[in-house]
Amino acid sequence: MGVSRRDFLKAGTGAAVLAATPRWLAVHAAPGAPLAPPITDPDVKPLALRALDAARSAGAAYADVRLTHTYTRSFEPYHRTIEEAEEMAAGVRALVNGYWGFASGPYWTPDEMARLGREAVAHAKANALGAARVVELGKVPVVADGHWETPVEIDPFTVPVDEVFDYLRGLMIYTAATYPGVSAQVACDFYRQEKAFASTEGTFVTQTLYRTGGGFGISYDNEKYRTDDRLPTTIASPLLGRAGRGWEYIREAPLREEVPILMARLEEDWRLPFKPIEAGRYDVVLDAHGVSMLLASTIGAATELDRALGYEANAGGTSWLNRPLAMLGTEPVGAPLLTVTGDRSTPGALATVKWDDEGVEPEPFTLVKDGILADFQTTREGAGWLAEYYTKHGKPVRSHGCANAPSALHATMEHPPNLAITPARSDVGLDDLIAGLEKGIFIAGLTVDTDFQHLNGESRSGRFYEVRNGKKVAHLTGAGMLFRAPGLWKSLTALGGAKSLEWRSATMPKGEPMRNGAFSVGAVPARFKDVTIIDRTRKA
Amino acid sequence: MRGRSEPRRLLEEPRRFLSQAQCEALAQRAMRFAVGGGDTALYIDTWWSGEMRWGRNRVTLGSDRRNNELTVSRIIRGASASARTNQIDDVSIQGAIRAAERALRYRPTSPEDIKDPAVHFDYLSPAIWSDRTFALGADECAAVARALIEPAEQAGMLSAGYIEVRGAGRALIRSNGEPLYAPYTQAQCSMTVRDPKGTGSGWAGLSSYDWGRIDGAALAQRALQKCLASRNPVAIEPGRYTVILEPQAVHDLVQYVVMKFDRRSFAEQGNHTFALRPFFSKLGLKVADSRVTISHDPMHPDLGVVPFTPSGEPVRPVTWIDHGVLTALSTDRGYALQWLHQNLGSPNTFAYQMSGGETSVEEMIATTKRGLLVTRFSNISLLDPTSLLYTGVTRDGLWLIENGKISKAVKNLRFTESPLFVLNSIAQIGTPVPVFSPEAPAIVPPLKVDDFSFTATIDAI
Repeated sequence: MGVSRRDFLKAGTGAAVLAATPRWLAVHAAPGAPLAPPITDPDVKPLALRALDAARSAGAAYADVRLTHTYTRSFEPYHRTIEEAEEMAAGVRALVNGYWGFASGPYWTPDEMARLGREAVAHAKANALGAARVVELGKVPVVADGHWETPVEIDPFTVPVDEVFDYLRGLMIYTAATYPGVSAQVACDFYRQEKAFASTEGTFVTQTLYRTGGGFGISYDNEKYRTDDRLPTTIASPLLGRAGRGWEYIREAPLREEVPILMARLEEDWRLPFKPIEAGRYDVVLDAHGVSMLLASTIGAATELDRALGYEANAGGTSWLNRPLAMLGTEPVGAPLLTVTGDRSTPGALATVKWDDEGVEPEPFTLVKDGILADFQTTREGAGWLAEYYTKHGKPVRSHGCANAPSALHATMEHPPNLAITPARSDVGLDDLIAGLEKGIFIAGLTVDTDFQHLNGESRSGRFYEVRNGKKVAHLTGAGMLFRAPGLWKSLTALGGAKSLEWRSATMPKGEPMRNGAFSVGAVPARFKDVTIIDRTRKA
Repeated sequence: MRGRSEPRRLLEEPRRFLSQAQCEALAQRAMRFAVGGGDTALYIDTWWSGEMRWGRNRVTLGSDRRNNELTVSRIIRGASASARTNQIDDVSIQGAIRAAERALRYRPTSPEDIKDPAVHFDYLSPAIWSDRTFALGADECAAVARALIEPAEQAGMLSAGYIEVRGAGRALIRSNGEPLYAPYTQAQCSMTVRDPKGTGSGWAGLSSYDWGRIDGAALAQRALQKCLASRNPVAIEPGRYTVILEPQAVHDLVQYVVMKFDRRSFAEQGNHTFALRPFFSKLGLKVADSRVTISHDPMHPDLGVVPFTPSGEPVRPVTWIDHGVLTALSTDRGYALQWLHQNLGSPNTFAYQMSGGETSVEEMIATTKRGLLVTRFSNISLLDPTSLLYTGVTRDGLWLIENGKISKAVKNLRFTESPLFVLNSIAQIGTPVPVFSPEAPAIVPPLKVDDFSFTATIDAI
């Protein structure tokens, strides 16, 4: 099988050369020592400039280069697994006569940088033989030398794996020993990406970005209270999710104190009887988790400008907001109490950066203002597509800084920034919203599926409760929520206040090849009127 | 010999991915760094990918990407742990080995899991390499893309699409087994043509290891025709309909049945689609219409896959469902040795072919009094893993059939249905053809199915 004996012999000489390929900038990998010097090393910039020079000499009108060095480490103590991964990548993007080319690879060597620069231009030129295309890049201030790091207290990669593993195992042992019959599930993962960006406009910036994720939940069964097999025996804590923070994110969460709270919540659930759902229209209260998932899947995806214009038609789908210039400033997408902002500077959020993957320093912007579509998520090229609207309204034609890529192996494209719903001015919380519901449904932990325009959707998961006179009285079996996004957001009747704001992580797949951009969504609990509730297990 | 690969001439040109010799040399270096005894394995996916993306009738990006994905595993007394890197120098590989050894300290040892990997297996040589695919460069690809956009643009429509060609090598090199390496190519082409007003949308796509087998011009015509014919759809009531599912729509559903052939041990533990009662699966029982056979032969010229699994087991022909009877569920070698007294498991690569019939889609339409013609499904999600109940939406062309003729384009519908119900409600079957399935090749027929359940009208186009 495989390659023939003859192929093997011919390739033999190449193998010796490859074995000697230096890891450029490498240091000795002693246990505990960093695997490579930081992105701020003075040798990184010449590498980046090498790629830009090659692209410029090959004929690029504009080029940029990214270098990324990504570490991930994840822990799952129940199955006793620790996984570590490292990826280095360099990617060059070049613009020739309005056409983009991109080339990327795993090696950080001067020769490879030059090859990537030439390759990117060759791709752009191949496409530039076609009909004319104009790309106007939104203006961006040049940052000659900048560095930024996600502010973390403890770089999780400096914490010995044994310490992390022991901490997580300790939680499991503590739970089992303190609460007989209860077992804890816990896991966490760390991410650090060092990245450099340089453009032919003169910007050179480096960043170190951190993300830490975790999950904590318990399994608990007690025949004294739990009388029905359909009642849940597991519950996840809302304390952990994924954030742009360090080891302190896991370390500071009061997880031991959380165990009796979770047990009480399960017991409270067990006291409620079961009732089959009667399909119909109900007033519905969603917790902050449900509102964040709904926001990400509908307005979050639909205000991605490339989707709205049809560039994603063959992949992640288009948008119901499909005539951006005609709809901006006039199209109602929700009730007047709905305001949604995008912001890549929110502390601790997943999409937070100092500069995006085009060297743009993002600024907070408003996507939906008092229920009306106010803006789209943009990159430098995307800002140009809306130039007519921005100019007419006296706004600068400027990218909102939504260019993003998982690593330099991937070309940049528009991905959502951190999204947030502006909370109500009053001090309303989830319990107040449920208490105010005379007859309706409370959905805990809603997740949704939408169609390819993010227009029509259905609940994927979530626990449905019947609410009578402000109290949860029963579990509803088989219930699902069916909605049309603008209709649902227009039926919004109340939002929680600032104290009830919670941040959740979200991803939204797009692109070819398909990839995800991570972002955080800040949401408050909300009440909607006349929501369509169905028996989702019923076929037609 | 069936399915013989084309000559691998192009592998000798300047490399875009690591050769067999390079992978083996890499592994030799890695094994020197291992300490503490036991065994070491390197699983390598090394690839080059040429890509072309377009939207609104203009190419938006042409790209050339390369990477080496190395998974380094250390195995001691049945315990194993691994770490990943994409770097091939000594420092990085040593770092990955150390990371695997750090993780290994926590892994449970299971002496009963120790198998003898030194056993020699025979591996098949499927057709998975195409010089034509590997030779498709940026200039030719750009010309192809322009040719595919042109018909849509001339008709005043908007085309968005994607071409990807990939040349890669997959290697598994172990300190205690024979080295395995297979070079392979992948090609895909798909496009969506939309009416600028957003009132109609059509799609067509195909994937193969061989770019030469993808007729892009035909795809461009089909996507355009579907777009034009799907414009200004009218809403119909959801409910149960006779549906004529084009091969792509069948694949969109049946692929989830194929995934469920994983695996026999799960089915015997219960809570599985193919679980019968505790400790027993539905093997030997009828699970589909007698006309349905689902199988995979890696030597089929359109169904080639890398002939070994990540753990080094050979991929061999398998028949999962034979004339409606469940005849196989996937097993690994450990299960096969322990419970079946066989030396080999039957891995599931997700590549498959489904048996066909004689009825053309035109005949299916002509014999339908009232029904729907479905291009494909999208946004599919699982509702119930045991009954395999899924929900999703139709996309890129849905038409009402009345009295044997397509009468009008209709708005998309949400379905709530199980693919197993589909395989048990077949009225007519057509000729199987390769479909768009870049992850694992599939050959699937069109089907006419009775009583397919649509649960909501959606107005996304």
